[in-house]
Amino acid sequence: MIRPLVLLVLMALVAAASTALATESAAGRKDPARAITSQLICPCSCGEILSGCTCETGKSMQGFVTDELKKGKGKEEITTALVAKYGEVIRGAPKAEGFNLLVWVLPFVATAIGFVIAALVLKRWVGRRNPALAGAGDAPMTTADQDDLRARAEAELRGLRE
Amino acid sequence: MSEIGKLALFLAFLCSCYAVGAFVVGLRSGMAGPLRSGRRAVWAVCGLTLLATILLVRALVARDFTYRYVAEHTSLDLPTMYAFSSLWAGQEGSLLLWLLILSAYGAAFLWCYRKRLDPFYDAVAMVVACVMIFFTSLLSFVSSPFRILATPPPDGNGLNPLLQDPGMMIHPPILYTGYVGFIIPFAFGIAVLVMNRTGTRWIEEVRRWTLFNWMFLGFGILLGARWAYIELGWGGYWGWDPVENASLMPWLVGTAFLHSVMIEQRRGMLKTWNIVLIVLTFELSIFGTFLTRSGVLTSVHSFAESDIGPWFMGFILVSGTIATALILYRKALLESENRMDAVVSREGSFLFNNVLFVALCFATFLGTTFPVLSEAVTGSKISVSAPFFNRVNVPIALVLLMLTGIGPVLSWKRATGAFVKRNFLIPAFVGVLATLVCVPFGLRGVYPIVCVFGAAFVVATVVMEFARGVQARKDVEAPANPAALLHLVQKNKRRYGGYIVHLGVVMIFVGVLGSSVFQKEAHAPLQPGQSMAIGPYALTLDRVEDMQIQNATQTRAHVQVSRNGKRLADMNPSKAMYTKAQQPMTEVALHSTAAEDLYLILGGVNEDGSASIQAYINPLVMFVWAGGVVMVIGTLICMADRMRLKREEKLLA
Repeated sequence: MIRPLVLLVLMALVAAASTALATESAAGRKDPARAITSQLICPCSCGEILSGCTCETGKSMQGFVTDELKKGKGKEEITTALVAKYGEVIRGAPKAEGFNLLVWVLPFVATAIGFVIAALVLKRWVGRRNPALAGAGDAPMTTADQDDLRARAEAELRGLRE
Repeated sequence: MSEIGKLALFLAFLCSCYAVGAFVVGLRSGMAGPLRSGRRAVWAVCGLTLLATILLVRALVARDFTYRYVAEHTSLDLPTMYAFSSLWAGQEGSLLLWLLILSAYGAAFLWCYRKRLDPFYDAVAMVVACVMIFFTSLLSFVSSPFRILATPPPDGNGLNPLLQDPGMMIHPPILYTGYVGFIIPFAFGIAVLVMNRTGTRWIEEVRRWTLFNWMFLGFGILLGARWAYIELGWGGYWGWDPVENASLMPWLVGTAFLHSVMIEQRRGMLKTWNIVLIVLTFELSIFGTFLTRSGVLTSVHSFAESDIGPWFMGFILVSGTIATALILYRKALLESENRMDAVVSREGSFLFNNVLFVALCFATFLGTTFPVLSEAVTGSKISVSAPFFNRVNVPIALVLLMLTGIGPVLSWKRATGAFVKRNFLIPAFVGVLATLVCVPFGLRGVYPIVCVFGAAFVVATVVMEFARGVQARKDVEAPANPAALLHLVQKNKRRYGGYIVHLGVVMIFVGVLGSSVFQKEAHAPLQPGQSMAIGPYALTLDRVEDMQIQNATQTRAHVQVSRNGKRLADMNPSKAMYTKAQQPMTEVALHSTAAEDLYLILGGVNEDGSASIQAYINPLVMFVWAGGVVMVIGTLICMADRMRLKREEKLLA
């Protein structure tokens, strides 16, 4: 039971990772200007996502994107021009290449490792013998018993004090 | 007065040190005297911090510019209520607020357990006192709010205009109550390790404290989102800003703990994991403060940057190392008592839910800190912002949404195939139906479809659980339905409170989905009398006027709004130029209904006299705020379970 479940989850994670690298925002599908501006950050100190930025720099960049689209330029071309002018720092998400690929891959790899560990732990626990059956005569006092005794002792102490 | 403030903080530092010393002596010797003395010292820290806070607030409200802090964060024209809230506008003041809440938690803890003679509770108080030493020493020797200026200025610099919002009166204290409160679960965890304590009683107590802090942190996060929505004027409420992320991370790990703690309570399992989660939650809350204060990352929420970052980093390293060493040292104490019967069980689903919560936290942590890491390695600056988090965190969050529906319905120990089929067939059908209904309304893309399916699935499972419970009660007591529902919740507050929290979570997911996927946007320069359309709304600019408010000049647009030809409202988006800050601030105009928000921004007044109006329709945003309220109600119901426990304790006595 556990192996197919883990495989299913791992496949879902691979799909999610590849979708993450390819997905375009829902708003972007409807509006090509927004498809570009929602992926960029205003280079001034406001630090807002360009599509929602109302500062002067932001508005001028939004205007630039609209003008370039009207000229028939594509998303990649416009983004490259803006990045060339302001630097990689204006990309809202780093390009998935070189060292920066790590930030895209690690969350999914970590989740997958987490699932594998959880599955292994579960497998071990399910296969473990019930200690109550192993040596009922020597069974140590359970934590519930200890808690009950502690509560009784405290209540009695309270009674003595009052 | 400043000398009294400084003295109060220094005495608080001494009392914290004394408390730790007294607790150590008392715990080692078993004598009651030092323990009693240690407890009194914790109370004294609380009193002294309160005194210092009152003195600083008095100086802020009186605009006593001899204090450097007052001169930096207030001005004569600042409204009094904002002079009060400038207590947390700067670094020193917010550290003082931290200490005040921390010492109040220490005092509240001692009050709650005043009748318990078990020295374990003294060990918990000792850990709290250790943390107090850190904050009192920071406030006494590194970052005092009572520093005096040699030549006081005639007027102060004023408060950051972004903080001049009624939401800022309550958002930071509520957020801090959540953040700081994680000290108590942390202290319990450390005390368990130090005292070599077994048993599950402490874990029930930790669960209640964590619920309380978790509720405040969650509500504080939502208040911050609401503040960003109204005050920042970009049409949204969550931008995956570093400071937002910093508050989300402890909340996520705290949520994981609240789930896994149930396994420990019922089955005596996951003991090590639960302690790790407790420690991680606390360390992340300190890390959040470090991010806000250090200036390592730029943030729209960061108003008080300074050089105390290394102190916080050092504290995280020291406390993290001690906690890790203790966990390793007490490994035997944390051995699992039980075994599992089947993978498909509530325990199994909770384990996977924990993996996802921690993975979500890790993704958020990595994304938040990666710009620093990347710059150190590659030498070039990059940004990791909303476009990254929306792609990486959303799929993980959607799987969690599905588990929100699956987990609680699975039975403990073992869920058979027939059981799973009986419980999930109808919810799955409801999910598919909801998705099919939404597709004609423009639902496109994998994530939105999964979100709608998941939301409907969870709601259906919760409704079925309530329906089954009500039916069972009717079979026994035969009361009317509303009474049966009430009795049902009263009888098992923890379980049904949890379901209500899950409904709140679904509402937030629906709100986020609606306001992101179905958001509409339009902008146009309008001359007086001109109109623009967005969705069913027509916006007509009536006039633009300049007006003076208390400490700012406001340019206000009067926009007449009609919906489907019917006059709806007059809205006034504006720009305010604050006298002191001399930077234009956007004041959003909002018309909210349960279905959607009409959100107007005045971009500016152009040279030709036209006003740039930016309009958004944000559907279902109200669900986000209402979801938060529902979560709070659900959490309060869960916490009310304490009454039952008290009754049980009395019966036992």
